[in-house]
Amino acid sequence: MGWYRRLQERCATCSRVTLGAGVLLATLGISFVLLTAGAYGLAWTNTEQFCIGCHEMRDNVYAEFKGTIHDKNRSGVRATCANCHVPHEPVALVLRKMAASFEVWGHLTGKIDTKEKFAKHRYEMAVKEWTRMKKNGSQECRNCHHFEAMEPEKQTEKARARHAKAQAQGTACIDCHFGIAHNEPDGPGPQELKLAN
Amino acid sequence: MRTIAVLAFAAGFGWSIGASAQDVSAAEALLKKSGCMKCHSVSAKKEGPAFKETAAKYKGKPDAQAALFKHLTTNPKIKVDGKEELHDALKTKNEAEIKNVVAYILSR
Repeated sequence: MGWYRRLQERCATCSRVTLGAGVLLATLGISFVLLTAGAYGLAWTNTEQFCIGCHEMRDNVYAEFKGTIHDKNRSGVRATCANCHVPHEPVALVLRKMAASFEVWGHLTGKIDTKEKFAKHRYEMAVKEWTRMKKNGSQECRNCHHFEAMEPEKQTEKARARHAKAQAQGTACIDCHFGIAHNEPDGPGPQELKLAN
Repeated sequence: MRTIAVLAFAAGFGWSIGASAQDVSAAEALLKKSGCMKCHSVSAKKEGPAFKETAAKYKGKPDAQAALFKHLTTNPKIKVDGKEELHDALKTKNEAEIKNVVAYILSR
């Protein structure tokens, strides 16, 4: 290793142990800085402020989200953009972020930069997200809503029956609970989607 | 006879005025408040028929408004997954608001 030999030449009085310890410490330090910066960056891209930094989100889906049950409610617990649209599991999270980085291209090229363009692409965007949520069994919904923690007797008779059916059939939450935070797009819904493996 | 014809026309005209002057956001808000969207959607499949399906079913039928008005106000018996249950009514007693929702559904 050339760089290590050069380091030895520069610090001729240092023992191999001291040099090794120095290299180890430097590696740990750099790793810490990179990991912290990465974690900070990921956390930052999960904030509501980041998501509505572009007007495509702020003026359309975010404006629709305002005032819904996930935005304002009796107890003040909110589910913001990332809670529903970004996986919590580390690998899935990074993969989703990588996929999202391609969506920046759409922003740069102005693919949905007007109300009309957004409306034109709303259905395909919804299908993309519904597909993702169906494939993972609506994991982001279930991060907060747990079947096993529900008290059926506090639900209406209809909700009780629908939830029992969904649980028995392994239906994803999104199959029924779509269009609750954003306007419903025109076209077949999640139940009618054919998933490719 | 003439009076009946005039009254019938007026009633129909009243409905059509209601339909054309429908307040979409008010209809959507009442549908949401009444929990309709839990089982119905505008165009997608859920437990209940999509509004577009309902609009197509009633298309051209002279009693469409009256039938739907009754359906949304009288808790009729319906079948979901082969089991009988009562259809929920709209959460309002205001006739104009109900008619607005009827017009909204029929115009999908």
